[in-house]
Formats: sequence, C-alpha cells, structure tokens
Amino acid sequence: MTSSVLEPPVESSSKQPVTRGLVDIGAVSDFVSGQPTRVEVGGRGLVVVRKGDEFFALRDICPHQRAHLSAGTVSGTSLPCQVGAPVPWGREGEIVSCPWHGWEFDLRTGRSLADPRRVRVRRYPVRVADGRVWVDVRTRRPGVQEKQEVEIGCVV
Amino acid sequence: MDQPRAPEGLSLIDCDVHNYPSTVDELLPFLSARWQAYIEQSGFADPWISSYPKMFKAAARRDAWPPSGKSPEGDEPYARQRLLDEWSVDYAVLNPLYVVGNLHNLDFANALMRAVNDWTVAQWLDADPRWRASILVNEQDPAASAEEIRRCARDPRFVQVLLLVRSHAPFGRRQFHPLFAAARDAGLPIGIHFGGSGAPITPCGWPSYYLEDHTGMAQAFQTQVISLVCEGIFEHFPGTQVALVEGGFAWLPSLMWRLDKNYKGLRAEVPWLKKLPSEYILDGFRATTQPMEEPSNPKHLLDLFDMIGRDDFLMFATDYPHWDFDSPRDALPPIIDGGLKRRILVDNAWSFYDFERT
Repeated sequence: MTSSVLEPPVESSSKQPVTRGLVDIGAVSDFVSGQPTRVEVGGRGLVVVRKGDEFFALRDICPHQRAHLSAGTVSGTSLPCQVGAPVPWGREGEIVSCPWHGWEFDLRTGRSLADPRRVRVRRYPVRVADGRVWVDVRTRRPGVQEKQEVEIGCVV
Repeated sequence: MDQPRAPEGLSLIDCDVHNYPSTVDELLPFLSARWQAYIEQSGFADPWISSYPKMFKAAARRDAWPPSGKSPEGDEPYARQRLLDEWSVDYAVLNPLYVVGNLHNLDFANALMRAVNDWTVAQWLDADPRWRASILVNEQDPAASAEEIRRCARDPRFVQVLLLVRSHAPFGRRQFHPLFAAARDAGLPIGIHFGGSGAPITPCGWPSYYLEDHTGMAQAFQTQVISLVCEGIFEHFPGTQVALVEGGFAWLPSLMWRLDKNYKGLRAEVPWLKKLPSEYILDGFRATTQPMEEPSNPKHLLDLFDMIGRDDFLMFATDYPHWDFDSPRDALPPIIDGGLKRRILVDNAWSFYDFERT
C-alpha cells in the first residue's frame, strides 16, 4: 500500500466520528507493519507507519524538496558508534527514509538523523483503541502526548 | 550580457535526464550477428563497474520504478509521464551513461556505442518530440567517436556529444583532437557528465565509501576543466562549448583564481594560450545546476553567482530518475527569483543548445 506522488491518497475517515481532535484513520488491521501509508487528515497529508502494536504519524512532506515520505522506505538503521567498532544495527521499523535523497527521520520524534537539531518533520500522536487507529491533529507540542493519554484512556 | 531569450511559451528545460537499456537484450536489434552471439555466449550484461554500491537500487529515486517491471531509466512512457508531463518540461536532454569506455575491446565498445545511440532514437526520440539526446561516444577511441558524431549529428534531435568525466586521460590531451574536431564541425557542444569508472576518483587512491566517491566527483570535473583550458582546446577548436553536467559549480571561482594566478608565472609552458584561463572558462563552459549547492545561508548562492560573473552560466537539470534528483519546484531556493530564475530554468539552456536545429 506504499503510495506515490501520483496515487490518490488513502481516504481519510472523514465519515468517522472525531473525538476531541482525534481522527479515526482506519482499523489496526488496515495497516501492515513496516509499510508507510499516506493518509489525508484535516487537509494534511500524513505518513502513517505501524510497528506491531505501535503507530507513528509524521507530516508526509520531506523538508528538503517536499517529496512524499510515504513513497519511501521504513527500516532500521546504523546506530552511532566509535570509529573502528562494529556498527550496531537497530531501530528496526522506526526510521523512514525519503524516496528521493534518502534523508532518514526518526518516526518517534520526527527529527532527521543527520541533523536532528535543525531538520525535523512534524509528528502527530497516534492512539489505538478498540482496534481503531486515531491521529491527534490538534497538538503541536510533543509533551502534550502523555496528558492526552491519561485523558482519553486509550489502550492498545 | 545579451543573450537570446527563449520563446515566451517555454517554462522549463531539463538539461540532464537518464535513459539506459533495461537489459542488454534491448540493444540486440541494433547489433550485428557477431555481437549478438558474443553477448549471448559471454553472458555480458553491462559495462558498468563500480566498487561502491549506491544505497539506491539502479541509483534511482525509490518512487521512480515503472509498473512495467523495467528499470527506471529503461521505460520511456513512464519517464514521459513522471517527468515531462508531471513537471511540464518543454525539452529534456537525455544522457545515456552507458560506459563503453570501460570496455577495452574497442570493436565491441564501438558496436555498443552505436547500438545505444540507435536505441535512444528508436525508443526515446521517436516516442515524444520533447526528448533530445546526447551522442554517446567511446573516449578510448577518438577516431571512432568522431565517426559516430558525424553519423548521429545528421539527426537534429541529437544536441550534444556526451563524455563521462572519469576518463583514461584528461580530455585536453592531443589524442582527443579528432573528437573535438568532429563536434566543432557538427556544431554540437560537448557535455561532460558525472560518471565513468575504472580509476579511483582521487589522486590519493581509492576511498572507502560511496559518499566519498560521489562527493569527490568535483575533482574529476576540475581536472577536465584545467586540461581543456591549458591544452588550448578553445584555441585549437574555436567556438567549442562544454557543459559540465552534474559536477556542481561552487568550486569554479576558486579554480579560476588559482589557474589565473599560476598561469601568470607559468605561461611559457602553454604559449598557445592568448587569454587568461578564466576567460576561456567563462566563454567556453556552462554548468548544470544539479546537484544544487545548498549553503546554509542561501545568500551565499548569489555571492557565488557574482563570483562566477555571468548570469547565463547555469542551466537547470533534474537528473531524473536518479536519487539525487533536483525538484524543479524546490531545488532553487526562493532567493533565486524573477529574471535570474527564468534564465536558469529556460533561457540559458535555450541559448546553449539548439533544440530546433534542422
């Protein structure tokens, strides 16, 4: 279900109820782990990635030249290490790479791996409840995530 | 500096697009029985040698793979849709990076050279009027290259002669004269493009990573610029025009300063030169924009253009379908606007190439 620039986006669940800024984007079973999926929510394109029971959502625009991250790849990556030491491989399923120039983004934080201080993509909290996947498009600050979890009482 | 403006109706010229046979089978119809048998018996697949896996299969954008199953560079209808149509390109120059220069059997290399040019005509130029192409030549055989230039130049859709920047000797050396003579006689510019292989990219041996090999490509371009100037190619073949394709351009000012400085003391070594090296460089060369320089302060780009000193020097290119593709919408930062932007996107290429030659 990897989308490209020309493919129409997956229909947003505009017919689904919105609860306190959360938008239902589909059933958990609609998403395959490791496959980036473009979803339109509230006029924004998001790239949604499932990793087992977890979901990540970033804005589907690479800050470099605005390619769709959803047309890229999800994988692990080489982790920081010392020169000459064995290179650890990790973060499997947590890194999305842009299809054009390969810029890597951490799905947990939205930050680029090469220049985390200056380059990032907006991240949207995702909730799973009763087998449905909800994206919170209201919040703009990562710290809000925890508060809302308590508020809404979602469980995986 | 006065130069012809492109017709009003044009909005984008792409000076670097890549076509390449999906498999060697596509070239068989353009080869003799002898070479068809040779390819079948030897299992020859491709002349490309690389010691640096590219992290992108076929060096392509991950979203440029055609549904046909062909490679991104091998599917004309898909390239037409994803590049010419999607980005409203008026003309695109095809550069098939088929490195026949890697093959030391000159007869085989020359047969493939001709087959690739014939394949480009049949599969690309005949398919859509927006395509133009460079003539692939064999840098290891300048005489055969000259003959191929004469043959292909009869088709007005060939607008350039293609050389790959990594060569067995710098292109200014006298052995290459037949090639420059043929290009001059045909009225075609030379395009020197990123690529080729077989020798290290550096004068210090082989680096370890593709990142180094790719970044180091500027060294090869610098070598060729210095060689063409110092060996007097622009004196011996007046009117020669050379496009530096996919080499970057930020290194040009310092190269001009250094070469002029040294020339002032060492002129007696190259007495055929009658002007400063930088004058030959500014008159004889142009560069494509891709891969676009990305200084953290975009204003430095304008400073760079100022240091180069000509506003008709740069020509836009996407490098479709490669991974380092430059988007026509976003590769030029907003600080490049108005007349300068239009010159880069359209006018400069319109004046350098002859897209409507007869």
